[in-house]
Amino acid sequence: MGKSKASRRGGGTSELNITSMMDMMTIILVFLLKSYSTDDISVAGNDDLILPVSTSLTPPKLAVNVVISQRDILVDGEAVLQLEEVVDEVTGQPKVQIPESAKRGPKIVDLFDKLVSKAETSKGLGDRMGDEQFGFKGQVLLQCDKRLPFSVIREVMYTAGQAQFGEFRFVVIKGSG
Amino acid sequence: MAKKRTAFTDATLDLVPIMNLVTILIPFLLMSAQFVTLAVIDSTLPAIVNTPTLTEPDPNEDKLNLSLLITSKGFTIAGGDKVLEKDNLETGPIVACLDAACLSPESYDYQGLTKRLALLKDRYGDEENVILVPDPNTNYEVLVLTMDAARDDQADVDDEGKARLLFPNVVIAGGVE
Repeated sequence: MGKSKASRRGGGTSELNITSMMDMMTIILVFLLKSYSTDDISVAGNDDLILPVSTSLTPPKLAVNVVISQRDILVDGEAVLQLEEVVDEVTGQPKVQIPESAKRGPKIVDLFDKLVSKAETSKGLGDRMGDEQFGFKGQVLLQCDKRLPFSVIREVMYTAGQAQFGEFRFVVIKGSG
Repeated sequence: MAKKRTAFTDATLDLVPIMNLVTILIPFLLMSAQFVTLAVIDSTLPAIVNTPTLTEPDPNEDKLNLSLLITSKGFTIAGGDKVLEKDNLETGPIVACLDAACLSPESYDYQGLTKRLALLKDRYGDEENVILVPDPNTNYEVLVLTMDAARDDQADVDDEGKARLLFPNVVIAGGVE
Protein backbone atom coordinates (compact mmCIF):
# COMPACT_ATOMS: atom_id res chain seq x y z
CA MET A 1 0.00 0.00 0.00
CA GLY A 2 1.24 3.52 -0.72
CA LYS A 3 2.20 6.19 1.81
CA SER A 4 -0.58 8.02 3.53
CA LYS A 5 -1.32 11.64 2.40
CA ALA A 6 -0.12 13.12 5.71
CA SER A 7 3.28 11.44 5.70
CA ARG A 8 3.89 12.53 2.09
CA ARG A 9 3.21 16.21 2.90
CA GLY A 10 5.19 16.94 6.05
CA GLY A 11 6.73 13.83 7.42
CA GLY A 12 10.52 14.37 6.90
CA THR A 13 12.81 17.38 7.39
CA SER A 14 13.11 19.64 4.34
CA GLU A 15 16.29 21.62 3.57
CA LEU A 16 16.46 24.85 1.61
CA ASN A 17 18.60 24.52 -1.50
CA ILE A 18 20.95 27.50 -1.33
CA THR A 19 23.27 26.50 -4.16
CA SER A 20 21.67 28.92 -6.65
CA MET A 21 21.80 31.73 -4.10
CA MET A 22 25.48 30.91 -3.53
CA ASP A 23 26.08 31.29 -7.28
CA MET A 24 24.43 34.69 -7.25
CA MET A 25 26.41 35.81 -4.20
CA THR A 26 29.67 34.69 -5.80
CA ILE A 27 28.96 36.76 -8.91
CA ILE A 28 28.13 39.82 -6.79
CA LEU A 29 31.26 39.28 -4.70
CA VAL A 30 33.52 39.14 -7.78
CA PHE A 31 31.89 42.27 -9.23
CA LEU A 32 32.31 44.18 -5.98
CA LEU A 33 35.91 43.02 -5.58
CA LYS A 34 36.58 44.42 -9.08
CA SER A 35 34.97 47.74 -8.13
CA TYR A 36 36.88 47.90 -4.84
CA SER A 37 38.71 51.17 -4.76
CA THR A 38 41.83 52.17 -2.90
CA ASP A 39 41.94 55.65 -4.48
CA ASP A 40 43.21 58.49 -2.34
CA ILE A 41 40.04 60.46 -2.95
CA SER A 42 36.39 59.67 -3.20
CA VAL A 43 33.50 61.72 -4.48
CA ALA A 44 30.13 61.90 -2.82
CA GLY A 45 27.93 62.45 -5.83
CA ASN A 46 24.86 64.65 -5.51
CA ASP A 47 22.85 67.08 -7.62
CA ASP A 48 24.99 70.04 -6.56
CA LEU A 49 28.27 68.42 -7.57
CA ILE A 50 28.47 66.85 -11.01
CA LEU A 51 32.06 66.39 -12.14
CA PRO A 52 32.93 66.81 -15.83
CA VAL A 53 34.12 63.87 -17.92
CA SER A 54 37.64 64.05 -19.34
CA THR A 55 40.07 61.94 -21.37
CA SER A 56 42.83 62.55 -18.80
CA LEU A 57 44.48 59.38 -17.46
CA THR A 58 46.49 60.89 -14.58
CA PRO A 59 45.54 59.14 -11.32
CA PRO A 60 44.62 61.36 -8.35
CA LYS A 61 47.02 61.83 -5.45
CA LEU A 62 46.30 62.98 -1.94
CA ALA A 63 46.30 66.75 -1.39
CA VAL A 64 44.13 69.38 0.28
CA ASN A 65 40.67 68.75 -1.08
CA VAL A 66 38.61 71.79 -2.10
CA VAL A 67 35.07 71.08 -3.28
CA ILE A 68 33.07 73.79 -5.08
CA SER A 69 29.49 72.71 -5.56
CA GLN A 70 26.49 74.74 -6.72
CA ARG A 71 25.71 75.50 -3.09
CA ASP A 72 28.94 75.84 -1.09
CA ILE A 73 32.71 75.53 -0.82
CA LEU A 74 34.21 72.79 1.36
CA VAL A 75 37.82 72.27 2.42
CA ASP A 76 38.60 68.67 3.41
CA GLY A 77 34.89 68.03 4.00
CA GLU A 78 34.36 71.13 6.16
CA ALA A 79 31.94 73.79 4.86
CA VAL A 80 33.69 77.15 4.53
CA LEU A 81 31.32 79.32 2.52
CA GLN A 82 27.79 79.34 1.11
CA LEU A 83 27.48 80.48 -2.51
CA GLU A 84 24.61 82.66 -3.68
CA GLU A 85 22.48 82.48 -6.78
CA VAL A 86 21.81 85.73 -8.64
CA VAL A 87 20.33 86.73 -11.96
CA ASP A 88 22.94 87.72 -14.53
CA GLU A 89 22.40 91.34 -15.63
CA VAL A 90 23.52 90.68 -19.20
CA THR A 91 21.95 87.32 -20.02
CA GLY A 92 19.06 87.30 -17.53
CA GLN A 93 19.98 83.73 -16.59
CA PRO A 94 20.53 82.60 -12.97
CA LYS A 95 24.17 82.14 -12.05
CA VAL A 96 26.15 81.15 -8.97
CA GLN A 97 28.60 83.59 -7.45
CA ILE A 98 30.61 84.18 -4.29
CA PRO A 99 28.88 86.73 -2.02
CA GLU A 100 30.57 90.15 -2.09
CA SER A 101 30.50 90.22 1.73
CA ALA A 102 32.78 87.15 1.83
CA LYS A 103 35.46 88.76 -0.31
CA ARG A 104 38.19 91.32 0.12
CA GLY A 105 38.99 92.23 -3.47
CA PRO A 106 39.05 88.93 -5.34
CA LYS A 107 40.25 87.09 -2.19
CA ILE A 108 37.72 84.93 -0.32
CA VAL A 109 38.56 85.65 3.32
CA ASP A 110 37.23 82.50 5.05
CA LEU A 111 38.70 80.22 2.42
CA PHE A 112 42.05 82.00 2.65
CA ASP A 113 42.16 81.57 6.46
CA LYS A 114 41.27 77.89 6.17
CA LEU A 115 43.88 77.21 3.49
CA VAL A 116 46.57 79.08 5.41
CA SER A 117 45.86 76.91 8.47
CA LYS A 118 46.04 73.80 6.25
CA ALA A 119 49.37 74.97 4.85
CA GLU A 120 50.73 75.61 8.36
CA THR A 121 49.59 72.15 9.53
CA SER A 122 51.19 70.53 6.49
CA LYS A 123 54.47 72.42 7.00
CA GLY A 124 54.54 71.49 10.71
CA LEU A 125 53.91 67.84 9.89
CA GLY A 126 56.71 67.86 7.32
CA ASP A 127 59.14 69.40 9.85
CA ARG A 128 58.26 66.87 12.56
CA MET A 129 58.48 63.85 10.26
CA GLY A 130 61.69 65.10 8.63
CA ASP A 131 60.54 63.56 5.38
CA GLU A 132 59.80 65.47 2.19
CA GLN A 133 56.99 63.06 1.43
CA PHE A 134 54.91 64.56 4.21
CA GLY A 135 56.05 68.13 3.60
CA PHE A 136 54.07 70.99 2.14
CA LYS A 137 53.87 70.85 -1.65
CA GLY A 138 51.26 73.53 -2.30
CA GLN A 139 48.93 71.18 -4.13
CA VAL A 140 45.14 71.42 -4.15
CA LEU A 141 42.62 68.92 -5.44
CA LEU A 142 39.77 70.91 -6.95
CA GLN A 143 36.43 69.17 -7.32
CA CYS A 144 34.17 71.59 -9.16
CA ASP A 145 30.65 71.25 -10.46
CA LYS A 146 30.70 71.28 -14.26
CA ARG A 147 28.01 74.03 -14.50
CA LEU A 148 29.98 76.58 -12.47
CA PRO A 149 31.14 79.75 -14.21
CA PHE A 150 34.89 80.27 -14.45
CA SER A 151 34.58 83.49 -12.39
CA VAL A 152 33.91 81.41 -9.23
CA ILE A 153 36.78 79.00 -9.92
CA ARG A 154 39.10 81.91 -10.71
CA GLU A 155 38.46 83.52 -7.33
CA VAL A 156 39.02 80.22 -5.53
CA MET A 157 42.27 79.70 -7.48
CA TYR A 158 43.40 83.24 -6.72
CA THR A 159 42.68 82.75 -3.00
CA ALA A 160 44.52 79.41 -3.00
CA GLY A 161 47.46 81.05 -4.75
CA GLN A 162 47.57 83.73 -2.05
CA ALA A 163 47.66 80.94 0.58
CA GLN A 164 50.74 79.43 -1.16
CA PHE A 165 48.84 76.72 -3.04
CA GLY A 166 50.04 77.11 -6.62
CA GLU A 167 49.45 73.66 -8.10
CA PHE A 168 45.92 72.65 -8.99
CA ARG A 169 44.61 69.22 -9.76
CA PHE A 170 41.16 69.33 -11.30
CA VAL A 171 39.29 66.15 -10.42
CA VAL A 172 37.35 64.71 -13.34
CA ILE A 173 35.57 61.50 -14.21
CA LYS A 174 37.70 59.35 -16.46
CA GLY A 175 35.87 58.92 -19.76
CA SER A 176 36.70 57.00 -22.90
CA GLY A 177 39.33 58.63 -25.06
CA MET B 1 30.79 -13.30 -10.53
CA ALA B 2 28.57 -11.00 -8.61
CA LYS B 3 29.53 -7.31 -8.62
CA LYS B 4 30.15 -5.76 -5.26
CA ARG B 5 28.02 -2.67 -4.99
CA THR B 6 29.42 0.41 -3.28
CA ALA B 7 26.96 2.19 -1.09
CA PHE B 8 26.76 5.93 -1.85
CA THR B 9 25.49 8.18 0.85
CA ASP B 10 23.81 11.46 -0.10
CA ALA B 11 26.60 13.91 0.89
CA THR B 12 25.52 17.56 0.61
CA LEU B 13 28.01 20.32 1.25
CA ASP B 14 27.04 22.63 4.10
CA LEU B 15 27.11 26.05 2.45
CA VAL B 16 25.60 27.99 5.34
CA PRO B 17 28.94 29.20 6.91
CA ILE B 18 30.26 30.43 3.58
CA MET B 19 26.93 32.16 2.95
CA ASN B 20 27.36 33.96 6.26
CA LEU B 21 30.85 35.08 5.27
CA VAL B 22 29.71 36.33 1.87
CA THR B 23 26.76 38.17 3.42
CA ILE B 24 29.17 40.07 5.66
CA LEU B 25 31.63 40.76 2.83
CA ILE B 26 29.04 42.21 0.45
CA PRO B 27 28.01 45.25 2.57
CA PHE B 28 31.67 45.97 3.31
CA LEU B 29 32.63 45.87 -0.37
CA LEU B 30 29.55 47.89 -1.33
CA MET B 31 30.77 50.67 0.95
CA SER B 32 34.27 50.65 -0.57
CA ALA B 33 33.17 50.21 -4.16
CA GLN B 34 33.63 53.08 -6.56
CA PHE B 35 31.60 52.86 -9.71
CA VAL B 36 33.26 55.81 -11.47
CA THR B 37 37.00 56.09 -12.04
CA LEU B 38 38.51 59.45 -11.22
CA ALA B 39 41.43 61.22 -12.83
CA VAL B 40 43.04 64.63 -12.46
CA ILE B 41 44.18 67.38 -14.81
CA ASP B 42 47.25 69.20 -13.53
CA SER B 43 47.45 72.94 -13.87
CA THR B 44 49.39 75.81 -12.35
CA LEU B 45 48.93 79.50 -11.80
CA PRO B 46 50.92 81.82 -14.05
CA ALA B 47 54.36 82.40 -12.53
CA ILE B 48 55.19 85.90 -11.32
CA VAL B 49 58.86 86.66 -11.85
CA ASN B 50 60.17 89.56 -9.78
CA THR B 51 63.82 89.18 -10.65
CA PRO B 52 64.87 91.12 -13.74
CA THR B 53 66.01 88.96 -16.63
CA LEU B 54 69.70 89.32 -17.30
CA THR B 55 69.55 88.28 -20.92
CA GLU B 56 67.50 90.11 -23.50
CA PRO B 57 65.07 87.90 -25.40
CA ASP B 58 66.36 87.09 -28.86
CA PRO B 59 64.04 88.70 -31.43
CA ASN B 60 65.00 86.03 -33.99
CA GLU B 61 64.15 83.17 -31.64
CA ASP B 62 61.15 81.27 -32.95
CA LYS B 63 59.04 80.79 -29.81
CA LEU B 64 55.35 80.01 -29.83
CA ASN B 65 53.99 81.35 -26.48
CA LEU B 66 50.63 79.76 -27.16
CA SER B 67 47.54 81.30 -25.56
CA LEU B 68 43.99 80.12 -26.01
CA LEU B 69 41.14 82.53 -25.42
CA ILE B 70 37.73 81.00 -24.66
CA THR B 71 34.88 83.43 -25.23
CA SER B 72 31.17 83.29 -25.99
CA LYS B 73 32.04 83.27 -29.70
CA GLY B 74 34.43 80.33 -29.66
CA PHE B 75 38.19 79.90 -29.37
CA THR B 76 40.89 82.32 -30.40
CA ILE B 77 44.42 80.98 -30.71
CA ALA B 78 47.09 83.56 -30.00
CA GLY B 79 50.80 83.14 -30.56
CA GLY B 80 50.75 81.11 -33.76
CA ASP B 81 50.55 83.94 -36.32
CA LYS B 82 53.20 82.40 -38.56
CA VAL B 83 51.30 79.14 -38.97
CA LEU B 84 47.67 80.11 -38.52
CA GLU B 85 47.10 82.91 -41.00
CA LYS B 86 44.70 85.47 -39.63
CA ASP B 87 42.44 85.78 -42.65
CA ASN B 88 42.03 82.08 -43.30
CA LEU B 89 38.70 80.84 -41.94
CA GLU B 90 39.56 77.17 -42.47
CA THR B 91 42.94 77.09 -40.77
CA GLY B 92 43.03 80.51 -39.09
CA PRO B 93 43.33 81.28 -35.37
CA ILE B 94 39.60 81.73 -34.74
CA VAL B 95 37.59 78.54 -34.14
CA ALA B 96 33.95 79.59 -34.11
CA CYS B 97 31.21 77.72 -32.28
CA LEU B 98 29.19 75.12 -34.15
CA ASP B 99 26.02 77.09 -33.44
CA ALA B 100 25.89 80.87 -33.49
CA ALA B 101 25.15 81.51 -29.83
CA CYS B 102 27.54 79.04 -28.10
CA LEU B 103 24.72 78.14 -25.73
CA SER B 104 25.96 74.79 -24.46
CA PRO B 105 29.40 73.22 -23.88
CA GLU B 106 28.76 70.96 -26.88
CA SER B 107 28.47 74.02 -29.14
CA TYR B 108 32.21 74.62 -29.07
CA ASP B 109 34.23 73.06 -31.92
CA TYR B 110 36.80 71.00 -29.97
CA GLN B 111 37.79 68.88 -32.96
CA GLY B 112 38.44 72.01 -35.01
CA LEU B 113 40.58 73.36 -32.17
CA THR B 114 42.61 70.13 -31.97
CA LYS B 115 43.24 70.26 -35.74
CA ARG B 116 44.57 73.83 -35.56
CA LEU B 117 46.74 73.00 -32.55
CA ALA B 118 48.12 69.97 -34.39
CA LEU B 119 49.24 72.34 -37.18
CA LEU B 120 51.11 74.38 -34.58
CA LYS B 121 52.63 71.26 -33.03
CA ASP B 122 54.00 70.25 -36.47
CA ARG B 123 55.99 73.47 -36.51
CA TYR B 124 56.84 73.80 -32.80
CA GLY B 125 57.49 70.19 -31.81
CA ASP B 126 59.23 71.01 -28.51
CA GLU B 127 56.53 73.32 -27.17
CA GLU B 128 54.24 71.76 -24.55
CA ASN B 129 52.74 74.77 -22.76
CA VAL B 130 49.42 76.44 -23.35
CA ILE B 131 47.93 79.37 -21.44
CA LEU B 132 44.15 79.23 -21.18
CA VAL B 133 42.39 82.57 -20.92
CA PRO B 134 38.67 81.90 -20.38
CA ASP B 135 35.85 84.41 -20.27
CA PRO B 136 34.46 84.69 -16.67
CA ASN B 137 31.11 83.27 -17.77
CA THR B 138 32.66 80.21 -19.42
CA ASN B 139 31.36 76.96 -17.96
CA TYR B 140 33.88 74.83 -16.11
CA GLU B 141 32.94 71.92 -18.38
CA VAL B 142 34.04 73.93 -21.43
CA LEU B 143 37.36 74.59 -19.69
CA VAL B 144 37.92 70.86 -19.07
CA LEU B 145 36.93 69.89 -22.63
CA THR B 146 39.28 72.58 -23.99
CA MET B 147 42.13 71.19 -21.87
CA ASP B 148 41.33 67.74 -23.31
CA ALA B 149 41.34 69.12 -26.86
CA ALA B 150 44.70 70.85 -26.29
CA ARG B 151 46.34 67.89 -24.51
CA ASP B 152 46.32 65.29 -27.28
CA ASP B 153 44.94 64.44 -30.68
CA GLN B 154 42.72 61.38 -30.23
CA ALA B 155 42.39 61.07 -34.02
CA ASP B 156 46.17 60.61 -34.42
CA VAL B 157 47.04 57.38 -32.62
CA ASP B 158 50.37 55.50 -32.86
CA ASP B 159 50.93 51.72 -33.08
CA GLU B 160 50.72 51.34 -29.30
CA GLY B 161 47.35 53.08 -29.24
CA LYS B 162 48.69 56.29 -27.68
CA ALA B 163 47.25 59.57 -28.90
CA ARG B 164 49.67 62.21 -30.21
CA LEU B 165 50.61 64.67 -27.46
CA LEU B 166 50.02 68.30 -28.32
CA PHE B 167 50.20 70.81 -25.44
CA PRO B 168 49.74 68.92 -22.13
CA ASN B 169 51.06 71.61 -19.74
CA VAL B 170 48.19 73.93 -18.92
CA VAL B 171 48.43 77.30 -17.20
CA ILE B 172 45.16 79.03 -16.38
CA ALA B 173 45.25 82.81 -16.56
CA GLY B 174 42.86 85.37 -15.12
CA GLY B 175 40.46 85.59 -18.00
CA VAL B 176 38.96 88.07 -20.44
CA GLU B 177 37.05 90.91 -18.80
